[in-house]
Amino acid sequence: MRHIRMTLRLLMVLIVGGILHYVLPQHDVVRVTSTEIYRTDFSGINRWFYAQADSGNAEQPTRDLRLINTERRRTFLLGFVPRDSYGTMVYRNEDTGWIWPPYFKFDSSDLQAQAGAVVSTAAAPQWLVITHYGWRNRFLTIYPNATAIRPVEGPDVQIIPWFNIVFFAFLLGAIVFVRAAWAQFRERSLDPALDAAGNKWDEVEAGVAERRSRMGRWMDSWRKK
Amino acid sequence: MGFVKLVVFGFIGLSVIYLCISIYSRSVRREKLEKRWDADNPGGDRVERDAHVAAGMVKYETGLRRKLIALVYVIPTVTIATILYLTNAY
Repeated sequence: MRHIRMTLRLLMVLIVGGILHYVLPQHDVVRVTSTEIYRTDFSGINRWFYAQADSGNAEQPTRDLRLINTERRRTFLLGFVPRDSYGTMVYRNEDTGWIWPPYFKFDSSDLQAQAGAVVSTAAAPQWLVITHYGWRNRFLTIYPNATAIRPVEGPDVQIIPWFNIVFFAFLLGAIVFVRAAWAQFRERSLDPALDAAGNKWDEVEAGVAERRSRMGRWMDSWRKK
Repeated sequence: MGFVKLVVFGFIGLSVIYLCISIYSRSVRREKLEKRWDADNPGGDRVERDAHVAAGMVKYETGLRRKLIALVYVIPTVTIATILYLTNAY
């Protein structure tokens, strides 16, 4: 029983952590090497990891996808510890629209134009911080979605994830509130109601016991003394 | 279409949160009134206690603190507008 509970709890932490890691914004230090557009045919497996057609357009089973090809500085520990090596990374550039994930991004074309304007070579690199969410997976052919780029001086920039700090503070506050509200509900509403129900049940039981004893006495009156 | 969906379901979701917070806030206020009365008047009269709590709750219902719960609707709207601006204007 304890193992099952532990496994379920671990599974829940993994799922919630995975969703947060996918959806929350992350920052990469990159150099854009090129931009491209290619046609994609989604499958049932990787369709989840793409947004819908650009806002205002019709949804078709197949469509063009904007990509930003980059050379990215590698990191450890979810991007917190920069390394001295570089690797390639490809970002997609799609509108998220109004619903999910809630980035409310409608300016994919503009972002593509910005990315095209800062393409640089290894000899004269133009370093950028790219904000994105999502995962790169080569087996599913999925890409993180870039939401913004801004130029920086060099690859050694300190990035403070303000949004995530505020988000986790808010999440903590929400959890504390839900726990307090539940405790209050139990103390003031649930427990008194259960107590009242318990008392009612005791009364009913006592009533039944008394009636039975009356019945017993009547039966006794017929027995031979 | 997505915008309509966001507004409708957002409104429903926020209304659920609004209801939960207002029930919680009212309950906390009532408990505070009861406890304070019990501390000030040990072994006091039940009827007087109920009247005191009822009067306190009337004051709460018209007070500022209760109106502040409407921020549940305001803050997400402002947040969404801010994100919308920051994502698309830069």
